Amino acid sequence: MTATYTAATTLDEALAALAAGSRPVAGGTDLVVGARQGKAPLPDAVVAIHGLGELYGIVEHGGGLRIGALASHADIVAHAAVRERFTALADASAIVGSHATRNVGTLGGNVMNASPAMETGGPLLCFGAEAVLASPGGERRLGLDRLLTGPGRTDARPGELLVAIELPAPAQPGGSCYARLEYRRQMEIAVVGVTCVVALDGDRIASAQVAITALAPTIVRVPDAEAALAGSDGGADAVAAAGVAVATAARPIADVRASIEYRRAMAAVIAERAIAAAVARARGGSETVPVPASPALHGATT
Amino acid sequence: MAVVEERRGQFIRQDGKDKVTGLGRYTADLTRTGMLHARFRYSDHPHARLLSIDTTAARALPGVFAVLTQDDVPDVRYGGFVEDRTLFARDVVRFEGEIVAAVAALTPEIATRAAELIEVEYEPLPVVRDPERALLDDSVLVHTGWEGYQANDELVRRGNDCSRSTIAKGDVEAALASADVVVKERYVADMSHAVPIEPRAIVAEWQGDKVTVWSSTQVPFIARSGVATTLQLPESDVRIIVPHLGGGFGGKCEFHFEAHVAALARAAGRPVRLVFSRREEFIAPDHRREGQVVEIETGVSRDGTLIARRARLVLDNGAYAADAPFFPQLAAMMAVGPYRIPNVSVDAHLAYTNTAPSGSVRAPTAPQACWALEQHMDAVAERVGLDPVELRRRNIVREGDETATKQVFTPIAAAETLERAVEMIGYGKELPDDEAIGVACGWWPSFGMPSGAHVKLHGDGSGTIVTGAQECGTGSVMALPLLAAEVLGMRPEQFTVVYQDTDAGPWDAGASGSQTTFNNGRAVVQAAIDVREQLLELAEEVLEAARADLELVAGRVQVKGSPTRGVDITELAGKAAGDKLLLGRGSGSPPAMPDCDVSGCTGRLGMESFLAPTFMTHAVHLKVDRATGVVRVLEVTAAHDSGRVLNRMGADGQVEGGVAMGIGMAVSEGTQLSDDGRQLNPYLLDYKLQTASDVPSIRVDWVGAPTPDAGPNGSKAVAEPPCVPTPGAVGNAIAKIAGRVHELPMTPMRVWETMQR
Repeated sequence: MTATYTAATTLDEALAALAAGSRPVAGGTDLVVGARQGKAPLPDAVVAIHGLGELYGIVEHGGGLRIGALASHADIVAHAAVRERFTALADASAIVGSHATRNVGTLGGNVMNASPAMETGGPLLCFGAEAVLASPGGERRLGLDRLLTGPGRTDARPGELLVAIELPAPAQPGGSCYARLEYRRQMEIAVVGVTCVVALDGDRIASAQVAITALAPTIVRVPDAEAALAGSDGGADAVAAAGVAVATAARPIADVRASIEYRRAMAAVIAERAIAAAVARARGGSETVPVPASPALHGATT
Repeated sequence: MAVVEERRGQFIRQDGKDKVTGLGRYTADLTRTGMLHARFRYSDHPHARLLSIDTTAARALPGVFAVLTQDDVPDVRYGGFVEDRTLFARDVVRFEGEIVAAVAALTPEIATRAAELIEVEYEPLPVVRDPERALLDDSVLVHTGWEGYQANDELVRRGNDCSRSTIAKGDVEAALASADVVVKERYVADMSHAVPIEPRAIVAEWQGDKVTVWSSTQVPFIARSGVATTLQLPESDVRIIVPHLGGGFGGKCEFHFEAHVAALARAAGRPVRLVFSRREEFIAPDHRREGQVVEIETGVSRDGTLIARRARLVLDNGAYAADAPFFPQLAAMMAVGPYRIPNVSVDAHLAYTNTAPSGSVRAPTAPQACWALEQHMDAVAERVGLDPVELRRRNIVREGDETATKQVFTPIAAAETLERAVEMIGYGKELPDDEAIGVACGWWPSFGMPSGAHVKLHGDGSGTIVTGAQECGTGSVMALPLLAAEVLGMRPEQFTVVYQDTDAGPWDAGASGSQTTFNNGRAVVQAAIDVREQLLELAEEVLEAARADLELVAGRVQVKGSPTRGVDITELAGKAAGDKLLLGRGSGSPPAMPDCDVSGCTGRLGMESFLAPTFMTHAVHLKVDRATGVVRVLEVTAAHDSGRVLNRMGADGQVEGGVAMGIGMAVSEGTQLSDDGRQLNPYLLDYKLQTASDVPSIRVDWVGAPTPDAGPNGSKAVAEPPCVPTPGAVGNAIAKIAGRVHELPMTPMRVWETMQR
C-alpha cells in the first residue's frame, strides 16, 4: 500500500498523472475530510494541482465569466461581477462550510465532488454553466446538467480534469438568489436549497430558472416552477405556485438531518424565499435573503 | 479581597500565550523514540455474545508489534459504583464502542489494517435500546448475573435498573387531591455529548517496571488508580502526566483508555500512542450526557403556591455504569428544583441499555432535568393564570427554607438571581410577535473533596505552586496564583505553577465537579499562609518587631503603621535560601455536608444535601422563524449566586461558555440512535455544536454574597452551574411563539412539527 503524492507544476504534468490513475486534490476539503471521517479512504495516488496558475482567476468575457477551477469560494464571493450579475453563485459560495473551507475549498472541487447538497451546483445549473474538461487529447465542454449524473458521480471521463467553469452572460435586467435551510450560521450543509434566476421584461418575468439542492439524487431544474413564474408578475401568487411546484418536484429522503415531510414543506418555504429575493434583486432592491444565514453573506453581498 | 478584585481584567493566564500562538503541546503532539501507534477493534454489534477472537492474521501483518484481548491482561472487573467492566470485552459485547482488541503497529495505517484483520465471531443478542422498556420485568438483561458484581452498598438495583433513588417528603397523594390545579406532563431528552475539540490521546512508555502515561484526562489521579487496578500494579509504578488539555467538559473525567495503551506498550516493548478520530470520540468514551424521560406532576393553589410535586425519571445509563449511579438522586433533586414544595415524591431510575455508557458531563443530569422542570413551571403558571416569573418569585427558596430532604438554607441569593436576570433583559418589553423572552431558574451543589498544594518561594523571591489540580481550560488552575499572591502580598505573575503530574502534586479529584477553586483554592491559601508564617518569623528577626505588628504588602514585610520599617520579601527569600527554605503545604478539610433528613429516601449516594448550593437564573430572548422552526437566540442574561467571586474575568468566561453549551443542548445538539442502538451522527457536521457565529450577546452578573462553609473566601462552585438553566429558558421562550416542545433538543424540525399540531 504505497501512497504517492505528486505536486504538478504544469497542466500537462497533472494530466499525465491523472492518466496514470492519480486523483486530483486542490483544497482537500472534501477528499481529506471525507477520508478522516471514514467516508472513503484517501486514494493511493494523489496529484496536487494547487500550483497550476492557469487554473486560478475569474475572467470576464462579454457579459459572461470564466472561473478557474481553483478559484476559492472566498475569491468568488469577493468578485464584483459575480456579486452583481451572478448573485446566486455568490450566495452559494458565501455559505459553503466555514471561513476556513471557503478560503481553501475550490469551485472545481465543489462541482466535481458532485454532492447533491453542493451549494454552487444550483446556481451554475440555472446560469447555464459549462464545465471545461481538459485531457491530453484536448478540451471539451459539458453543460452542468450533463456533467452531474448522480450522487458523487459525474460524466467526466477518467483522466479528465476540470479546468474552468464558463458562464454565459445572463439576460438583463435580471436577478438571482440561492437560499438554503440553515440550522446554524456556519459549518452548515444544505438540507434544502433552492436557486432562482429571473430575467425581467418590464413588470413581468420574462424567463426563470429554478433548481433544487439536496432534494433529489442530483441538483435538478424544476420546469413546473419555471413555468409558473414565466410571464407572471412575480407576485405572491406566482411565487406560491412556484413553491408548490418545487415541493412537488422534490424527491426528499429521510435521514439524521430531516424527515421527508419536513424537507418537502421546507422545499416550498425556501423556494418562495429564493424566488422573492431574486425578483426583488432584479427590480433593483438590495434584498437580503430572509433565512437565518450568516450576516456577512446574503446581506453584505448586495 | 481587594487585590483579587482590583486585578480583574488584567490577569494573564500562564498557558494562554502557548495556546493562542500554537506553540502549546497537546498529547497528540508528543513523540517518543521508537513510538508505535495504537488502534482499537470495536465490537461489531451493540449486543452480542463473543464466541471467538482470532488474532492470527493481525499478528502476522508486517509492522504489527502487539495485539491484545482480555486474555492478555489481568482479569479484573472495575467500576466506581459497580464493578461491571473489564478492559476488553469478555464473553459479551454491550455497546457499539466496546473494545474487543487492541493493536500496536509501526504506523496508524498498519494498525488500522491489523485491527480489521482480527476475526471475531459473534452471536447477536436482542438489543435493549429504550430505557423505559429496559425497566420492564420481561426485558432482556444487559448484564446477566450482575448481582454478583462488587458494588456500593447504597446502590438500589434490580434487573436493568442500575441505580434507583427516591425522595419523599410529606403526603403527595393527599396534597395532589386537595390542590386547586394539577398539571402533569412528560418530557424526553435525547442523549448528547461533551465534545471536547481535542479528541483524546494517550502515550505510554515503560522504564523497567514503571510506566509513564501522558493522557488527555481531566482526572490524572483517578486515571492512575485505574491503571494500577486493572493492570495490577502498585500506584507508585504509575505516573500520569497531562500535557495541555484541549477541553473536557466532563467527557474526559474518569479512567478510560490509559491501561489499554500501557498494556500495549508493555507487550510491544516500545512506547505507544493512541489518538482518537472524531468518530471514536463520539462512540467509545463512557462519558456522554444521558437521555432522560421525565414525567412530572405538580399540585398548586390558585394563588400559585406549589403544594406537591410528583415525578418519575428514567435515565439512560448505557451499557456500563461509569460514574452515573449517583445521577438518579441528583436528577431527583433537580426535578424538585430551587422551590419550596412541602409534599414531594420523586422516583428516579438509571436503566442499563445497549448504548454508549453515560457519565458526568458538565452538571450531569441538570440541564435536561431543569429543562423539563422549568418548562413545566411555565405550564403550571399558565394554568393558574400567573406570569411565569411571578410564579417563581412566589415559590423560589430563600434563607431558612428547607429542601425536599429538609436541608435548611443558610443565606442564599436564589431570588436575587431571578430579579437580576429579568431586570437585565428588560422582561416585559415590547417585542415583535415572532420574538419572546423565556426565563428559567436552576441550582447546583458545590463538591467538597480533599485536595492539596505546596507553595515554595525561591531565593530570588519568585514562587512556585506545586498542585495536584488539573487545568482543563477553565482557568481555575491558572488563577491559583491570584490566591497565593493575595496571601503573601505579592503579584500573581511572580508565581509559576507545576501541575498535571501525579508524581509532583498531592492527590486531587481533578477537573471535575466545579471543584478546583473550591478545594484546591483552599489548599493553596493554606500553603501560602504556611509560607507567610515562615516569612514573618524571618522578618521578626530582621525588623526586631513582634509578629503581630507585621504585615505583607506589595512585596514587603513591614511594621503596621510605619511603612518605612520593612524588608523586601526578595531579601528574606535570599536569606532563607542560604538557611532553612521557604516551603508551605496546605490541604485543609473540605467543608462539612449540611444536615438533612433522608428518612423518606432510598438510594442515597451523596446528593441528599447540597453543600454550598449555587443558584442561577437565565433569561433568553429569541426569535422563531415560524415557517421553518429555526430558532435564533438573540440575547441571554445570566445572574448567578456563586458566593463571592474570586476571579471575575474567569467566572464570566465560564458563564459565557456554559450558556453557549446550553443553547447547543437546547436547539441543536443531540445524538440520534438507530433502532439497534448505533449512533447515527457521530461527527461534527451532523452533531451540531453552536458556532461562534451562533452565540448571542451574553450579559452576566453575580449577586451572591460570601458564603460560610464554602470554598476559599466564601466562594462556591462556578464552572458547571452556567449550563443548567439555559435549555429551559430557551424552551420557555420557544413555547410562547410555537407551542411547547417536549423533546430535547428542540430542533427546527421539532419546533416546526409542534406548530403543525
